[in-house]
Amino acid sequence: MDAPPSPPPPPSPPPEECSPIAATAVANVADDPLTSPYASMNSYCHDLSTLQDLACRGAWRTIVDKVARSRSLSLLSKPHEHLIYLTFNLLSLVKLRRYSDAQQELKTLDDDLDSKQYLYESYPDHYPNHKPGSMVPFALRWLHAHLPFTLGDRQLALDRLYTLLHFIRDKKLPPNRDSDSEVSLTLWKKREEFVVNTIISHHLSQKEFKVCLSLLRAEISKNDDPLLVSKLGYVQMQYGDLDGAKRSFEVVEKLVMGSESGNVELKNLVSRNKALKYLVGKDYVSAVREYEECIERDGSDVVAINNKALCLMYLRDLSDSIKVLESALERVPTVALNETIVVNLCSMYELAHVNHADIKKTLSTWIARVAPDDFDNSCTRI
Amino acid sequence: MSGGGGGAQQAAHSLAFRVMRLCRPTLHVDTAPLKFDPCDILFGEDLFDDPIAASHLPRLLSSQSNTSISDPSDLSYRSRFLLHHPTDSLGFPGLLVLPQAFGAIYLGETFCSYISINNSSNFEVRDVIIKAEIQTERQRIVLLDTSKTPVESIRAGGRYDFIVEHDVKELGAHTLVCTALYSDGDSERKYLPQFFKFIVSNPLSVRTKVRNVKETTFLEACIENHTKSNLYMDQVEFEPAQHWSVTALKTADHSLEHSLLMGETFKEPVLIRSGGGIYNYLYELKFSSPHSTQVKVEGSNVLGKLQITWRTNLGEPGRLQTQHIVGNPITRKEIELDAEEIPPFIILDKPFLVSLNLINLTERVLGPFEVWLSESDLLDEKAVMVNGLQTMTLGEVAAFSSMKFELNLIATKHGIQKISGITVFDTVEKKTYNSLLELEIYVDSQ
Repeated sequence: MDAPPSPPPPPSPPPEECSPIAATAVANVADDPLTSPYASMNSYCHDLSTLQDLACRGAWRTIVDKVARSRSLSLLSKPHEHLIYLTFNLLSLVKLRRYSDAQQELKTLDDDLDSKQYLYESYPDHYPNHKPGSMVPFALRWLHAHLPFTLGDRQLALDRLYTLLHFIRDKKLPPNRDSDSEVSLTLWKKREEFVVNTIISHHLSQKEFKVCLSLLRAEISKNDDPLLVSKLGYVQMQYGDLDGAKRSFEVVEKLVMGSESGNVELKNLVSRNKALKYLVGKDYVSAVREYEECIERDGSDVVAINNKALCLMYLRDLSDSIKVLESALERVPTVALNETIVVNLCSMYELAHVNHADIKKTLSTWIARVAPDDFDNSCTRI
Repeated sequence: MSGGGGGAQQAAHSLAFRVMRLCRPTLHVDTAPLKFDPCDILFGEDLFDDPIAASHLPRLLSSQSNTSISDPSDLSYRSRFLLHHPTDSLGFPGLLVLPQAFGAIYLGETFCSYISINNSSNFEVRDVIIKAEIQTERQRIVLLDTSKTPVESIRAGGRYDFIVEHDVKELGAHTLVCTALYSDGDSERKYLPQFFKFIVSNPLSVRTKVRNVKETTFLEACIENHTKSNLYMDQVEFEPAQHWSVTALKTADHSLEHSLLMGETFKEPVLIRSGGGIYNYLYELKFSSPHSTQVKVEGSNVLGKLQITWRTNLGEPGRLQTQHIVGNPITRKEIELDAEEIPPFIILDKPFLVSLNLINLTERVLGPFEVWLSESDLLDEKAVMVNGLQTMTLGEVAAFSSMKFELNLIATKHGIQKISGITVFDTVEKKTYNSLLELEIYVDSQ
C-alpha cells in the first residue's frame, strides 16, 4: 500500500560548518534556548510531538502515512530523525498486524544495530561535541527481537530477546561503565526489567511454568516490588498451586502495608488479589464485594470491572454481568475497550441470546466507530 | 462454545436451551502488549549519556503527556501504548477470561454448566417444568427438576437461568439432557428436549511395582498424564490397608531456596507435563501385626490404594483413587530349620556332628519327617556327606513346637565348603522342603 521506505540518506554537511569558527558557533547553539536542538520536541526531531500524539490516540494508520509522506518529501535531515521515524513506522506496522510489511521495513536497516552508521560520532557535523554513543532507539532493538515471533519463529525471537538481555547486562549495566549519568543507568535498569518481563511472557504463554517461577523469583530477589510478587501469585494460580498463590498474596499485602498505603493503585492491587482468593474458593459474593471496593476507589480499574462481571456470571446472574461490561464500555471506553473484555462480553451474548448475531453486530459497529487502529476485531467472533 | 443441541423442531418452539460449560476461568496472557517507555522510542538509547541532552530532555518529556492514565476525561488510548509500570510488558494483569471452548473432560473432574432457557417468542410461556439430567451407558442422574415448583412464567424475550454440577465418575459417552414442558402462547402444552453430548476420557494411568527387601516392602508408583493440560499434583497419598504402615520417600530437594522476602523455603511444584509427562513416587511399607509374622495372610495381599488430587487452571480440581494395589504373594512358612551347634574344628575325612533344630510354625502337628542330604547337581562328589544311614527319620513335631536332632557328617574336601541340599520330607502331607538351610564350614586338612 505504501511506497517501500528508503534507507536513511548519507548526511550532507551544510557549507557553513567547514570553518573552525563556525564549529564553535555550532557548539554553543546547544546551550542557547532559542536555537538549541532541545528547545522543543519538534526542534529535536521533525514533528515529533505529532507522532507521539498520534501514537497515544492509537492512530497507527495515520502514522504510517505520515512517515511515508515525510520520507517522500525529504522532510527529515538528520540521521537520528530517520531512525526515530523508522521506529514509529515499524511499531505502527506491528500494531496493525502487518508483519510482512514490518519485516520489509526492518530489512532497510543494517543487520547489526551496533554498526558505525548508527553512532553519533560518525556524523560530527550533525552532532558536534556530542557524547559518543548509539542513536538507535531502544524500542527498535526490542522490535527487531520480537518480529520473528510475529512471523511464526518463536524460538528465534526468544534467542534474540535473551541476547538483548545479555547485551544490556554486559555492556550497559556493569558497575564501572564510562558514563556517570544516573539517569542513563536508571533507564538501562528499566530496559533490563522490560526485556526480562517480555521473556517471562513468552514462557508463560507456552505454559512453561517452572521457567517463569525461576525468572520471577530471580527478579523479586533483586527488587521486592509488590506488582512482581503479585504476578508470581498469578502464575501459581494459573497452574493450580492455590496455597502457593495465597502465600505470595500475603507477601504483597505486607509490602504494601509497609510502603505508601495511601496509594490507590496498590490498595486496589491488594483488593484484587484478595478477590481472586475468594474466587478460587468459590466464594463469588465476597469476590464481588472486593471488586466493588476497587471500583469505588478507581472507576477505571478495568481488571476489577471485568473480573466482577465474571463473578456475577458464576453466581448465575448473566444479565448483570452483561450490564457491568456494557456500562464500562460506555463510561470509560478508552480503558475498557480491550480485546479480552470484548471476548468475555461476546461469550455472554452467545449464552444469553438465541439470536446473538444481531447484538454482536451492534457491538461491532460501535467498536468500529470508537476503537483505535490496532484493535483486533477477531475477538467478536462474528 | 454455547450450544443449542439437537433433538427438537426448533421452529415450533418458543423456548430454547443455551448451554455453556462453566469450568474455572483462566488468567489472560498477552505475549506482546506493545507498550513502551517514551524514552525508548523518542530518543536514541545512549542520548541520556550526553550531559546537555540529559539536562533538557526530562523537560521535553514532561511537557508532552502529563495526564494520569486513569483520568476519565482523557479520551486517548495512551494506556495501549505507554508503559505504566515495567511489569506491564509481562502482559499478565490478572484479567480473567471465560472458557472459550468446551474442552476435554476427564474422569474425576466436576462437570459444571450454565444453562439458560430463552423465550425468543413474542408471547409469555407459563408453568414451565424444567429438567436437566446426565445420561450415561449405565445410569441416569437428575441434576435439576422443577416438577414440584414449576416456573410460573417466562416473559417474551426473557430467560430462566440455572447452574448444574456433576462429579464425573464414569468414562465414555455422556449426554446432558435438558427438557422443558411448558404452556405456550396458545395455552398448548409443549415438550422441548435438547441433548448435549460429550465424552469423558481417562486423565491418568498409574503403573506400580512392588519389591520386597527383607522385612520392608517398597512400592513404586508412576503417574502418567494423558490430558491436554499440565497437571499440578496437589496431593498424592498412599492409603495403606489394615496392618500396613507407610512412609513416603522423597529425594532431597536441591532446589530448596530460602527467600528472606518470601519468608519460607520454596519447593519446586510437582507439575506433570501434558500429553505423556510422568512423575514417580516411592513408598516404604511395613507390615505390623499384633500377632507377629505368623499371621501373614497367605495368597495375594492388599497393600492399599493411592489417592490422587490434581489441579489445573485457577485450581480446577480432579480426584481419583486407584484400585487396590497388591503386593507379592506371601507363602506362609510352615517349618524352619536352624543350626544350633557346629563344631569349631572340622578335620578332613573325620566325622563330625551338626546340631539342628526343626521348628513347626503351624498350628497343627507335622511329621513324622525324613531328613537327608540331596544328591549334588554337579558331576563331582559332594564335599560334605552324611556319615552313616543316608536318611534320618524324625518323629512328629507338635504345633508351634520344635525338635532338635543331630546330623552325622563327613567332609571329603578341605577348605571352605558348604553343607547344602539338606532336605526335609513330611511323610504324612508328602511335602518336600529343600531350601531351608545352607551352612558354610572350614575343613582343615589335618
